[in-house]
Amino acid sequence: MEGRTGKVDDGARRELAVAAFLVAFGGVVVALARRIPPGVYTDPLGPAAFPIALGAGIAICGLLLGAAMLTFRGHSGFKSTLAEPGPDDDQTTGSGPFSPARLIGAIAATAVYLVGFTPLGYLVVTPPYVLAIMVIHGGAGRRSLLVGPLLVTAALYATFRYGLLIPIPDGILEVVLR
Amino acid sequence: MSFLEQLLAGFATALHWPGIVVMIAGVAWGIIGGAIPGISGAVAMALALPYTFSLDAATALVMLAGVWAGANYGGSIPAILIRIPGTPAAAAALLDGYELNKQGLASKALGISLVCGTIGGLISIIVLIAMVVPLGNLVLAFASPETFMLALFGLTLIAGLTERSFLKGLAAGFFGLLLTTVGLDTLTGSLRFTFGRSELLSGMDIVSVMVGLFAVSEMFYQIAHPAGRAPEVEGKASTAFPTLAELRSVSRATVVGTIVGIIVGIMPGAGATASSFVAYNEAKRWSKRPDLFGKGSLEGVAAPETANNAVQGGDLVPTLALGIPGSNSAAIMLAALILHGIVPGPFLMSRHTDLVFTLFAGLIMVNLLMIPVGVVILRGCMAILKLSPPVLVGAILAIVVIGTYAGDLFILNPLLALGFGIIGYGMRVYGFSAAATVLGMVLGGLVESELRRSLLISLGSWSIFVTRPISAVLLVMTVGVLLYPAVMYARTRRRQVQTARTA
Repeated sequence: MEGRTGKVDDGARRELAVAAFLVAFGGVVVALARRIPPGVYTDPLGPAAFPIALGAGIAICGLLLGAAMLTFRGHSGFKSTLAEPGPDDDQTTGSGPFSPARLIGAIAATAVYLVGFTPLGYLVVTPPYVLAIMVIHGGAGRRSLLVGPLLVTAALYATFRYGLLIPIPDGILEVVLR
Repeated sequence: MSFLEQLLAGFATALHWPGIVVMIAGVAWGIIGGAIPGISGAVAMALALPYTFSLDAATALVMLAGVWAGANYGGSIPAILIRIPGTPAAAAALLDGYELNKQGLASKALGISLVCGTIGGLISIIVLIAMVVPLGNLVLAFASPETFMLALFGLTLIAGLTERSFLKGLAAGFFGLLLTTVGLDTLTGSLRFTFGRSELLSGMDIVSVMVGLFAVSEMFYQIAHPAGRAPEVEGKASTAFPTLAELRSVSRATVVGTIVGIIVGIMPGAGATASSFVAYNEAKRWSKRPDLFGKGSLEGVAAPETANNAVQGGDLVPTLALGIPGSNSAAIMLAALILHGIVPGPFLMSRHTDLVFTLFAGLIMVNLLMIPVGVVILRGCMAILKLSPPVLVGAILAIVVIGTYAGDLFILNPLLALGFGIIGYGMRVYGFSAAATVLGMVLGGLVESELRRSLLISLGSWSIFVTRPISAVLLVMTVGVLLYPAVMYARTRRRQVQTARTA
């Protein structure tokens, strides 16, 4: 995408990538929806038509977004009417720079936590999980790192197990806790 | 039953055990959640959603209404005490609230926020009741084509107004609609997008999706974009109720805040944040002492806090009368209905009158409970604000896992929440707000079923949507909303060209 200065605009390139993703995603949805069997009784529309229309709709949004980026990017009236972002009501503000390592770490820690949640049990996996999230988040003092995970685990266990009577998995501690 | 009898019956149901306890718990959690920077009202409600499984639909709605109302006030606590708004909507109250704190009047600012917020909330509920009943009767003339067009119009309007980019808003709305197609198609028995997983036969768990899109994505965002060190919370805080003279001095700001909050609330997509800033500016314009604004004016706290709370009643007008939620919080209320097997839509008022009247009574109760709970819970909020953010983030993610797991004891649900947390994070980073997706998910079932039912009635003829007057009008309005951004752009361009020519 060429801006007025002739340099490639990073924001425009990102928007074009988003547009391409929408087109590809919409295409995949349409392809998958076309495989939906008609079923035993078919109404005039059938079970596949609605998902196909939605997939096509997403792809068309992507095409229009890409076309708008390529055609109108240099025009000032473009901002906030067709594609440029603005404020949102439920989102927090005032955050710092992006750290991909932290994001990947948090996702990985959560995935591992979920894998161990049922077989190992809540009490076994929650303290290391909370500790991992605290370390990844950063900014916690040594005392918080020591006490925080244990306190959080105990408080949540008491609340959910005895307060809300939710059967939290005991895992390998089942024999002891029963 | 007369209107008054229905309302009294609503009070009886709302106050029935465990209603009152659930209301107090909801308001308390709302205030705490709202007070924690990074947890907005919608996130606090999404986190509470899994715990409504064991409650009946009416009690669940009342609890969520309590969380919503509580979060509106809770956001002002850190705004006044540490100059960090707990919710985006509390940013306007910060301007004068923190100035009052610097003058040693934090307790007074908290008291004004609590009392005026309650007044605004209560008046907006009265307006809600007055508007919903006649509007509910109006939609009784609607059949499938009109219901489909109304849902489509609502979705288009909200995608266009709430989203940060119109095209991305539409795409996010379509994505939300698409999520509702997962599972067994009840009309034909076909399996759609289940990929051989029996857990997906009944569709995507709406709670896990909402918790993922709102709460998990927010926590991931806070982890991936670490803010600077949060200011320390020092000392003790208390609530000092305003005297009658002080209440009289802020009466004009309270009236302005209430009117602005209700009007902005009724408009789909315009939320509490917009209302509080508009109310602040309007109150300053109408004030006898505009010079005090920004320097510690009680009116500067009263107006945005009243508007912030009055949004709730206004927001619920299209939600309850037409089945179109105007905000994330309203969409979560409707999601609670879906959880309890009630299809939200324009017939909610006529088919579930007792439920709606219980909600009316519950809304009045939670707004009244705000004052005692707000006073008592303040110390708890201070204690939580003193906790370090990493502990809070770790605890919230653990709560998410237990909460989504608790529904039907499937580990797939927390996995879904994680997946939608990642999707929600990506949507936020690339300029897609989750609001349209959630609204699409809430309206999706209704949109598809009414579309197919309409075509069954018309034997497959699409003309049914243009030959019926109400449906045709709604269709024209939908096309108008779709074309609006392009028309606006063309107008702006024409003006620019004309200006360039004259120059």
